[in-house]
Amino acid sequence: MHRSKRIALILPDTLQSLGLVSLLTDYFAPVEVTYFPTFEALGTAGGDSFDYFFTNADTMVLNTDFFLPRRGKTAILIDNTEETGALSSTNRITTRSTQEVIIEQLQELFTNDYAANGLSAENNKELSTRETDVLQQIVKGITNKEIADKLNISLNTVLTHRKNITAKLGIKTVSGLTFYAIMNGIISGDEIEL
Amino acid sequence: MPLVYPNMRLSEVVEEHPSLIPVINRFGIRLGLGDKTVKTICDEHALDTDFLLTMINTFLNEEYFPEKKLQTFHASQIIDYLRKTNQYYQRHQLPNIERHLTSFITMSVPGNNTLGLIGRFFSSFKEELTARIRQDEESCFPYCMSLCEQLREANAETIDGLQIPTGQQADDPIEALLNDLKNIMVKHLSGEYDENLCYAVFFAIASLEKDIKQHNRIRYRILNPMVSAMERLCQ
Repeated sequence: MHRSKRIALILPDTLQSLGLVSLLTDYFAPVEVTYFPTFEALGTAGGDSFDYFFTNADTMVLNTDFFLPRRGKTAILIDNTEETGALSSTNRITTRSTQEVIIEQLQELFTNDYAANGLSAENNKELSTRETDVLQQIVKGITNKEIADKLNISLNTVLTHRKNITAKLGIKTVSGLTFYAIMNGIISGDEIEL
Repeated sequence: MPLVYPNMRLSEVVEEHPSLIPVINRFGIRLGLGDKTVKTICDEHALDTDFLLTMINTFLNEEYFPEKKLQTFHASQIIDYLRKTNQYYQRHQLPNIERHLTSFITMSVPGNNTLGLIGRFFSSFKEELTARIRQDEESCFPYCMSLCEQLREANAETIDGLQIPTGQQADDPIEALLNDLKNIMVKHLSGEYDENLCYAVFFAIASLEKDIKQHNRIRYRILNPMVSAMERLCQ
């Protein structure tokens, strides 16, 4: 799963912050949002422990040394309806826009986070040879101890294999595993009593 | 999700959450609700408004489960509700899934063995659920009721002062099977099949799963602790 995005809100307006928190948690979970009424309050918490910053134009202008290097990770809340068309390299959230527009603006800010680089789809759910061996035994209904003896591995290893099998396939019950094994030709249906 | 309250129009609530229709049916409330409030409808059907609303709200919200409040209801009310959910599974939801499943299997391209296997997996799930319902009817529920009776004869007041321990939700084999069934379909389905019928089967399974989750939550966290409390008093 995704790691939580750590987000700092540096906004004097409490209602604005609450609104953002609710949009962020509803549409962009998992997030960890911390709220700072002033830039000074953030300073003490350490600016580098956050992935994203939301602030207003005044705070931004007064602290360009901090925000400029973090441009890509900062969004400015602007008391306006739509982008005015002015070219700007900063991310803007126009607070008077409809919820739909604001969500789109947030989405743009987070684009990179959802670019699916972490999860390798390939290779992830394929069982290893050993796991397949263990699965063949499990569906015959024999105990973990017997599996360990038969395959010459320790009981702990059997348990680890079982855990990994369940994690890879998303199937927990023995009957579920049995059907998976038959569907994928890991065992033949005749070997098993259903 | 906002909770439902006695002064709301039931029709509006149901329009927003159609999955409640079977739940209100269980209480004998049928569509054709007009503009009546929840309270009015409960009065007309001689139902406990508080109980109905607690069932509706726990059904709609996974995060809402007021344990203390649920334990103030009478064990017979809880059992009656669980019994009705069982009947609903047996008379409607299981046959409904089977109906979809049969057409799913026969209408899809012959020779897709995975579909037949899903059918067999479902049958083994059905056996498991049917066995539990039979056990409920034959021993579990009558036993709970007899405990209630004994306590009532002994002392009508003790039941109010019942010390109910906090219940633990055990890993339920029926929920696990349903979850696997869904997973097998979502992740491991292969070959040619009829998409539309597949969705019908999946949807029916998912709504049964939602219902059974609520049933189990009540069973493990409310009824079971009530029973152990009553057992201690009867000894």
